[in-house]
Amino acid sequence: MTTSTGAKSAAETTDPGNWTNRLRGRIEGLVPPGEALPDRQPIYVASWIYVFGVLTLSSLAVVILSGCVLAVGGVQWWHVSSLGHYVNSVHLWSVELFFGFMVIHLWGKFWMAAWRGKRAMTWVSGVLLFGISIGTSFTGFLSQTNFSAQWIAGEGKDGINSTGAGAFFNVLNPGQMLLWHVVLLPLVVVLIVLIHIIQVRRHGVVPPLDADLEG
Amino acid sequence: MTRDRTPDSHDFPTRRYDLVKEFVITLVVVLVASLGLAAIFSSPDEKPITMSAWANADPNNLVTTAASELAGTTTSATYGAPYNSNSEGQKLGPIPLQKWGGVRIPIDSADLVLGPLSNTTNDPAVSSAVAAWKAAAPEQQTKWAADYVDAIGAAAADGEAATGAGGDPANVAAGDYGPVPALSAGLLALAKTGGLEGALDSAGNFYGGDTTKSLLLLADGAYLEDQAVAQNLAGDQWGMMNEVGNAPGQPWMWLYTFWYQIKPFSTSDNADVEVWALMMLLTLLLMFLPFIPGLRTIPRWIPVHRLIWRNYYRRSAGRP
Amino acid sequence: MMKSLSIVAEGPGRYIHWGVIQISVANLVIIVAMIILFVLALIVPFPSGHDEETDQERRQK
Ligand code: HEM
Repeated sequence: MTTSTGAKSAAETTDPGNWTNRLRGRIEGLVPPGEALPDRQPIYVASWIYVFGVLTLSSLAVVILSGCVLAVGGVQWWHVSSLGHYVNSVHLWSVELFFGFMVIHLWGKFWMAAWRGKRAMTWVSGVLLFGISIGTSFTGFLSQTNFSAQWIAGEGKDGINSTGAGAFFNVLNPGQMLLWHVVLLPLVVVLIVLIHIIQVRRHGVVPPLDADLEG
Repeated sequence: MTRDRTPDSHDFPTRRYDLVKEFVITLVVVLVASLGLAAIFSSPDEKPITMSAWANADPNNLVTTAASELAGTTTSATYGAPYNSNSEGQKLGPIPLQKWGGVRIPIDSADLVLGPLSNTTNDPAVSSAVAAWKAAAPEQQTKWAADYVDAIGAAAADGEAATGAGGDPANVAAGDYGPVPALSAGLLALAKTGGLEGALDSAGNFYGGDTTKSLLLLADGAYLEDQAVAQNLAGDQWGMMNEVGNAPGQPWMWLYTFWYQIKPFSTSDNADVEVWALMMLLTLLLMFLPFIPGLRTIPRWIPVHRLIWRNYYRRSAGRP
Repeated sequence: MMKSLSIVAEGPGRYIHWGVIQISVANLVIIVAMIILFVLALIVPFPSGHDEETDQERRQK
């Protein structure tokens, strides 16, 4: 009886019509076996420039963490609480670090031509992250409920409206901007970061220009 | 670089590397840096401008703005999409992108004045002014308001002589302005009570939260912009990158901001859509750089990679 | 306590004007710091980076 059950489950795991099997196959195939979190890297991975991707990731974690603390107190909390103001400062400075590290990361990947060897989509998702992060920070500035937010809304509306997008994305409506800032855009950023990192682990770190294994 | 000969990264010799440790250390470093920078440099938080602050600091400008809303000559009144159809809006060459978005946030500029005042019942002068306005024909309404705006005029500035009453409603020459002076004065009085924002944004729905009307009215006046210019925040001051005081702003906006400073954009009526289009184009170029001959070869021509991978190149050069 | 330390948020902003370019000292400091960090990342040796032979290379010999 045990044997027959075992045989049956073995058949199940390879049944290509089974949606669950197909999903498992997809997930397992995302990254080569053992390459998701390897404890070894190719010898050419020996430069501080490689640390900036991880620094960007860590900054994003601090950005989200400090943003969550701000969310606990609500929209106007940081105007009236010195703790709230401090948390806001942490949020602002982690954002400045996030962008600083991301741009250095971009510079590094450019000079390494890190899009070689089927890695073009990693570069593309990176540029997408840069653009969407700028949008996320823009909606953050609009959600401050202070003088800067008023002014940035008044100026920013002309840019967005001129493209026609202002009809759907009203920068003068802080409720809409806040929801984009704390839900929609962070979701998209985190999702693309996941894709970006799976892409990196899938292909492994790009070899040096002109690296030739034979010669 | 016609064909991509990049070898498989998994075929190279390896050395020990601890990714998780690297992440944890960077996380601690970034956390400490953020906490420290926040403690040393804080963050700016300048109180929002209120309508009563505007009314008290620059009452003449608020009165003029109110009359101009009634005359239909303010920025928002002549904006076009998405607020109204009173202008074509900006165009990218022949393409009316702004118009295509549609009038989905309809705002009647006269309503920015009449809306709040219609709900004021404790001032008979204002109530009868509203009634007189509503009873008049549109051409009459516009003539009253436009004449009053002209009569108020503006103070001398930038080498231009003063017009009308030099910007002071108290010195306006006698004339037929209908109910417009009473309406403008009524809006000023309401603003001074601190009730104007609420009357614009939360009247009839209890929950404020959409500040579209208040912000449009505020931006139609001069007070908001004066404050911003004093803080280096205006568009022609690279303001998009800047924050109030000495706080860092959005330095990553440098290129977007730059285009507004130079011709043809600095003198174009369609600068916003042109700069947007240019930035979209440049972003696409950056995004698809791996596929663009020439651009993708720059890292070979300027061999920064020799520095990054110097150990690898030294090592493989030494190999027989 | 936080107020006394907030040397950035208070007082008028300091700006540098250079032809068409106009930039706040704060933004300039950030951009310069980024460039310095980038250059340092390229030239400072990565720990355990050089001269350490890999296990595989040792095995291959
Ligand atoms: C939210 C922003 C980003 C995060 C969290 C992030 C994270 C990472 C991480 C952790 C790595 C692996 C470690 C490393 O090589 O540094 C990586 C690799 C890479 N990143 Fe990003 N990145 C971001 C934005 C960008 C941007 C803006 C670009 C360029 C336009 C980019 C292009 C790349 C490329 C091409 C690789 C692959 C490098 C290789 O195979 O050697 N990334 N990224």
